[in-house]
Amino acid sequence: MPRYGFVIDLKRCYGCYSCQVTCKAANHTPKGIDWARCVPAETGTYPTALRQMLPLVCQQCREPACKEVCPTGATSQDENGIVLVDKNLCMGCKACIMACPYGARQTAEKWQTYFPDADGGLDPYEAYAKKEWEKTHGYGMATKCDYCKDRVSEGRLPACVESCPAKARHFGDLDDPESEISILIRREYGFQLNPEFGTDPACFYLPPR
Amino acid sequence: MQLKAQSKWGWLIASYLFLAGLGGGAYVTGVVADFVGGDWAALAKIGVALGFPCVLVGSVFLIADLGTPANFWRAFMRPGTSWVARGTIIISIFMVIGFLHIALWLWPFGVLEEGSGVRHVIGVVGAVFAFGTMIYTGLLLGANRPIAFWSTALVPVLFLVSALSTGTMAVILISALGGEGHSGPVSTLARVDIVLLVLEAIVIVMYLQATHRVPESRAAARLVLSGSVAPLFWLGVAAFGLAVPLVLELLSAYALDGSGAAVVAALAAVSGLAGGWCLRQVVLSGGVQAPLRAGRFEFALPNV
Ligand code: SF4
Ligand code: SF4
Repeated sequence: MPRYGFVIDLKRCYGCYSCQVTCKAANHTPKGIDWARCVPAETGTYPTALRQMLPLVCQQCREPACKEVCPTGATSQDENGIVLVDKNLCMGCKACIMACPYGARQTAEKWQTYFPDADGGLDPYEAYAKKEWEKTHGYGMATKCDYCKDRVSEGRLPACVESCPAKARHFGDLDDPESEISILIRREYGFQLNPEFGTDPACFYLPPR
Repeated sequence: MQLKAQSKWGWLIASYLFLAGLGGGAYVTGVVADFVGGDWAALAKIGVALGFPCVLVGSVFLIADLGTPANFWRAFMRPGTSWVARGTIIISIFMVIGFLHIALWLWPFGVLEEGSGVRHVIGVVGAVFAFGTMIYTGLLLGANRPIAFWSTALVPVLFLVSALSTGTMAVILISALGGEGHSGPVSTLARVDIVLLVLEAIVIVMYLQATHRVPESRAAARLVLSGSVAPLFWLGVAAFGLAVPLVLELLSAYALDGSGAAVVAALAAVSGLAGGWCLRQVVLSGGVQAPLRAGRFEFALPNV
């Protein structure tokens, strides 16, 4: 069984937010929910100030902090290491949202429209997205990135990987030493975010410049 | 970089933490008073009578905070998984015992009134779960690794001391309202609470003192001491929660007697109870998440 992982190359990312928007389109997530997102940070002072973007997804941790606190058994790991939430078991206690060090878990209270028409109604695209979201997820329960599980099972790449114009995102099998991501991690000093939390993420980053 | 506090657990959870502590503390006060016996009998009944209803109302706040409350019962199904699950079971057992204790002793059945043996056994078992209820609320917060302000051994201690103190004050308040406010036992209880309040102040100082190790807990301490949570901390916790009840209880226990002592003790209790709620809210509002680090950069998570 492959152990799916990500490599995100921080020196290639220029912060265009394509991943964030593509994820919304691919997964029909409501306003306020961003399973893939870009977070900016600055360091130093003028004239040596630097700005860097940090693209985030669920890190599909081997020792997920979110699963450890879930009281209902709604959180599980599949054979590829993907951490999943069963919407029928989740009671929406938000314990996992608090426990995840990477801000990967989010919950929607209701559908909010991005582009309200004159009387607050939904355009056909949003109406479609709302219907899809209510079919696959819903309101009140915890939701998260699943590395586009369904696309991957059809042999496609996760949507954010496919859309990244800077080619900063790589997806593959961590257990295969010859996979692109394993080689990148080895050759380019791949590291995990905040290893002190002991969650052993499956998402690796290549150092910023 | 501006680190922000969590916003997902708000006043509903604060009210739950407060009421669960209050109920547990009042119940333990009642059980201890029952062991003392004699003219403590009235206080024993008040304490035991407060346990179950307070925790029940608290649980209503907890359930109201759930995103999908219809699945609430599932929290009972996996006791091994987490502190939320274990806590749900602890407080449920406490509520069952607290309920039986009330039903069989106070109302509607008086079967435990004669002879204190069975009543004491129920009381001791109930007190064990009352302590579990008071302490687990702190352990629950401590399970959140990225929130350093919560994952310290002092939060359960702080919540325990505050729970015992608010429980005591609730018993004092009810007995004062019932016209018992100047009896000997009430003024003894006020003296016990003076010790608890001093202890609580010491624990709070130690708790805030121990926040210097990581940026997220430093940010939390700044938020609480001089940031947006500071008014709630200084007014709610330091003034209404500690200073006011301390001064008033000293007055009522040592300087006043008669109905003056009762009124002052009741005022102390009202102020201290409000402070107990503020304490929970302050701890929740200080829940700052750790920044993510890559190279020289530190990234603050938005909307956690
Ligand atoms: S990143 Fe967060 S949500 Fe994803 S597996 Fe790790 S702890 Fe769970
Ligand atoms: S919100 Fe749902 S998935 Fe998260 S810990 Fe609670 S029950 Fe588990």
